[in-house]
Amino acid sequence: MFFFRNYKSLILVTLIFIFALIMLSYNVKYDKGEGIFRKIVLEAVAPFQSFSHFIVKSVDDSWERYVTLVGLVEKNKQLAKTIHELKAELLIYKEGYLEAKRLRTLLALRESLDYAFVAARVIAKKQTALSKTIVIDKGSFDGLKTGMPVVAPPGLVGRLINVSWNVSKVLLITDENSNVDAILYRTRVQGIFSGAGLHEGKLKYITKNQDVIRGDTIISSGMGGVFPKGLLIGQVKNVEKQDKELFLKIDVTTFVDFSKLEEVLVLVSEENEGK
Amino acid sequence: MAYYLLLPLLSLLVIALQTVLADIIFLGRLAIEISFIVVIYAGFRLDLAKGALLAFVFGFVLDCLTSPVIGLFTVIYILVFLCSFILSFILDIEKIHFIALFGFLCALTKEIFVIIFYNLVLNFDTVMNIPFICLPQAIIIGLLTPLFFYLMRRLEVFFYGKPFHRTERTGDSRISAKI
Repeated sequence: MFFFRNYKSLILVTLIFIFALIMLSYNVKYDKGEGIFRKIVLEAVAPFQSFSHFIVKSVDDSWERYVTLVGLVEKNKQLAKTIHELKAELLIYKEGYLEAKRLRTLLALRESLDYAFVAARVIAKKQTALSKTIVIDKGSFDGLKTGMPVVAPPGLVGRLINVSWNVSKVLLITDENSNVDAILYRTRVQGIFSGAGLHEGKLKYITKNQDVIRGDTIISSGMGGVFPKGLLIGQVKNVEKQDKELFLKIDVTTFVDFSKLEEVLVLVSEENEGK
Repeated sequence: MAYYLLLPLLSLLVIALQTVLADIIFLGRLAIEISFIVVIYAGFRLDLAKGALLAFVFGFVLDCLTSPVIGLFTVIYILVFLCSFILSFILDIEKIHFIALFGFLCALTKEIFVIIFYNLVLNFDTVMNIPFICLPQAIIIGLLTPLFFYLMRRLEVFFYGKPFHRTERTGDSRISAKI
């Protein structure tokens, strides 16, 4: 009894150690990792871990936010710069896409007509009140000559009036000085299409007894030797019969939108020699 | 009595904290074994029964949470406690170098023991971890042990007005490690 009282701590420690050894030996042989003690301890430690994690994470987040704030101005500047660069790049891509779209339409027109063409880019527009002209980037070096017809989807644009070595001026069909021999597609009635300002034209010399209705399509007649036959010019917008006049007053809207013209085709020869 | 009741709770808290800290600081690659330092500290400060029980509880909880075999850390922690306890009669803990060296050696021995155990008993090939995990881990414990001792000493002074001494260690038989 005296022995146990004097050495109770030592005995307790020995027992604890032996118990630990037995536990280790047993678990080496039989433990599958699913013991009840593991489950209890895992369940018990979970709230502490959550709480500790919450506190440490909060501190960590605060620190991270502080560190982030320090470099935020510089980062912001960098991002703004990147955004500008990307916007510029996007603009280039968009422009390329639109250009490809326009060229595809132009190519479709080129395929549909049996002529030799020279494709040109519009480099200037002078659609003033008096003069409705555009300047293209092709000239006599490319085989262009004065008087050659110019087309763009979906129809007639005008004709060359000044041809330099590398650039040419095109008189649009909407110019008041422009006259195109035309016919009404539906009735084959012939008249003269004259320019009357932006998007506007008039079909002249159609007698009152002719059948003209709103929406009739006007095409080039091929007479006069300047424009080939069958090019789309415009659509009848309004028809008026005036008592005192011999002819109908016909307002026409052109098919080509001249404000958005960027590429055109110049009809170089009557027959497509290139094909 | 309060000590025995609070011991499991304390062990859960310490181990939860060390797991979270290890996750944050070392992204789970290394552990900050505060529980191990607590056991070393217990060897120097607590009496035999209380300290052994603390080592058992801490080791057991750690086993349940991290060890593939329950009992491994329990045995190691008890052995570490006993080493610290025996050594506390011989050497003084006032000197930082000693505490750091002792913590480092204990941790390194423990890590090597674990690796040998894994290799021989569980057939885990973990020898390659010695230079990459065991050594850094032992260094971390070696560095943290004096800091922990210092903080605990300040707490003891704060609560008791002087550093705590257990009854068995008040004699003059120990050898001072002071230079």
